[in-house]
Amino acid sequence: MVLISYLNPFSSEGEDIVREKGSIEGIFEVNPELLQLVRDSKSQNISDDSYIPKNYADLALKRVEWYLRRKNDKKYNHNDYAFLINPKIAKFDVISIYTMAQAIGIKFNPKSREGRLLVESQGKLVEDRLEKLAPIERKEVVNNLLNQMITQDNIKWTSMSQLLGSKKINLTDMILDQGDVVLEKEDFLIRFEDKIEGRVPEKMYDLLIGEKIKEMIISRMIMQKTENYLQKVHEMAPKIEAHPTLLEIGEQISEKIKELSYFPGSGGSGGFGGDIKATQLQPDAFPPCIQKTIEGVGSGNRNDAIVLLLTSFLSYARLYPSVFRNEGTSKISDIDPDLQITINEIIPLIFEAADNCNPPLFDDDPQEKLNVIAKLGFGVNKDPELKHEGESKWYTPMSCDKIKIHLSSLCKPDATCKKIGNPLSYYNRKRWELRNSGDKTPSKSSESDSDKD
Amino acid sequence: MFEPSTLEERRRYYRDEWNVNDLPDFIRKDLSKREFGFDHLGRGPNDRYRVFKTPDMLKRFMRYRSPFAAYCSVAFYNKPRKRGEWLKSELVFDVDAKDVPVRSCGCDSVCEICLDEARQIVAGLIDTLKQDLGLKNIHVIYSGRGYHIRILDETAMGLDSEGRSQVLKYVVGAEPPKNKYFMEDESGQKPYELEHFSIPLGYPAVFTKRIKYAILHLNGTEKMEEVNPKLMKDVLKYREMVQKDEWGLFKNKIGPIRYRNLVEGISKLNMGLVDAKVSIDLKRILRMPTSLHSKVSMRCMEVKNIETFDPLKKAVPKFVSERKGY
Repeated sequence: MVLISYLNPFSSEGEDIVREKGSIEGIFEVNPELLQLVRDSKSQNISDDSYIPKNYADLALKRVEWYLRRKNDKKYNHNDYAFLINPKIAKFDVISIYTMAQAIGIKFNPKSREGRLLVESQGKLVEDRLEKLAPIERKEVVNNLLNQMITQDNIKWTSMSQLLGSKKINLTDMILDQGDVVLEKEDFLIRFEDKIEGRVPEKMYDLLIGEKIKEMIISRMIMQKTENYLQKVHEMAPKIEAHPTLLEIGEQISEKIKELSYFPGSGGSGGFGGDIKATQLQPDAFPPCIQKTIEGVGSGNRNDAIVLLLTSFLSYARLYPSVFRNEGTSKISDIDPDLQITINEIIPLIFEAADNCNPPLFDDDPQEKLNVIAKLGFGVNKDPELKHEGESKWYTPMSCDKIKIHLSSLCKPDATCKKIGNPLSYYNRKRWELRNSGDKTPSKSSESDSDKD
Repeated sequence: MFEPSTLEERRRYYRDEWNVNDLPDFIRKDLSKREFGFDHLGRGPNDRYRVFKTPDMLKRFMRYRSPFAAYCSVAFYNKPRKRGEWLKSELVFDVDAKDVPVRSCGCDSVCEICLDEARQIVAGLIDTLKQDLGLKNIHVIYSGRGYHIRILDETAMGLDSEGRSQVLKYVVGAEPPKNKYFMEDESGQKPYELEHFSIPLGYPAVFTKRIKYAILHLNGTEKMEEVNPKLMKDVLKYREMVQKDEWGLFKNKIGPIRYRNLVEGISKLNMGLVDAKVSIDLKRILRMPTSLHSKVSMRCMEVKNIETFDPLKKAVPKFVSERKGY
């Protein structure tokens, strides 16, 4: 039977391991036990020493490498990382994830690229590890994990509010009854057997719930626990002096992410070939919601459409279209140091769209001019000035999900919309499509020079 | 009916008819933790951040000012005057009759038919909120032109906006359930196709109810990008089958691809059954029950039984009954 901490490092068993073995001092020291275990892992590629993590810090970096290569690299070979799916690695793995979480939590924001990678990779690893277990053991482990994580008889959907709030779980994916999330077959049959006609109720259970939903809940709960731990470390960080080793590992993780985030032709996170650099706006690549906003919006939706949606979209599309790929916190002046593009190109477009509203937005609500400046990161001021930068946040464009709710009248999706979740991703994708079609059409290729990554 | 009220009528209402003791208990209790807002001129609520420590203070204010509209927050605060120290918020669904996307009447504003259809929608949403989500302490308020469902279940009052948005999508049927399912231990096998109407439980069953309601109430003028005029015509032609729950036959008549388009289209319309912004806003102010909706001269009031409630009998103030020609 595998250790619970192999899947949930934040279990009490995992905490015990950290207490017992988690000395920061030996984190860079070669660990012969670990070396042996990695070499003994089934199917592990040992043709090159670089495949083998030699210590805890190395193991943490290997986890980053595994996740990014798995996601982005077409040449990814599972056998390079087979040790991660070896249950015997549990104790080392627990130390490595705590090390990673502390290194990232101290150095970066929990919502940063580094933080997100840690959380996502942990969820993916839980899924992969469960998949590799024998069916009987898998069921037993899943039930044990659930019993440990959920103390009441039935899980109430409201007890998952954190998972719902962070979109790790969709309410519509679960079978709910009287507020309970139905997971067990017996419970399912008691509740629904009478309702099911023309089908075998047991089979209906296997199709609708089975082990899938339980495993999904487990992996999402562990992701949430990882995120919570990261948050806790981040909040504690200013109160304690960070160990230099952790700072160093944080730096190495960040470097590793930069190195492995883009694999040419992978179709992964770097796949659309969107621009890293600021480029001229390409209005024919704007998504329908933005085009409608520019044409003008009626009262009721004007404020949100101009101040929240258009301001963030135009500024990022013009200055930093790859923000979601590259993450990190940026300021406009990082890209537009003298604010000339912002003042001469971006703001006029926003104000023009505000004038197109019916009635014109600023005639009714001049205060919203200040809000536009604030959403660009220059505080509540009349004009963007470097001395005010940072008084507020440079808002990223709201997601399509949010647009559907806040600005549903603007959401008229076309075929491209179905493939993306944010207007800025639409813009990057559409430009990429236009550029590709432009390769065949000489008249459209004028953008290509400035579009090279 | 449905005409604006004059200042004199408002004064009469708040002097002769309105009684602070009629405020629902869920408002009276912890009154001082809510923010109140008022519209005095009919241009929207710009008198905000008011707090009343006791019902008597509210009574004096209402009698003296006779506002065009009165609102109170769904949120509870320790410092409501500054909207400070937020504690929790009611979970709210706002069904406005004039904005319901599928209305068999097809009127421009509000009429008896669409008010009644809004009432039916509310009853359906409450069923799901109770049966699937197990929520309690649910109150229905007739708002003057529609309904507010106000949920004071402690388990839901701490939800954040995203959590509320997920509840919203579930109860209105805003996304088609998946229709391909895999059996355990059969990886590599073809998925089983199960349409929502063949799953009589959970979200697929909720979705089926919402789709059925929409199909039966379409008037043919609704615009859905996925539904062209020919498909709309066929839907109207065969909808009797849906009425009889003969979904398989209906889908056959429509065709599988066009059926999927229809379902996609209606799920988007369903998002408009309630005002989503109200549901996800943790600091919203809502029309105060017992107050007057002056734009239509109707009383905003708590509904005890949504199945039998008739606003035209219960929510009409005396001054309207006495108007010339009523």
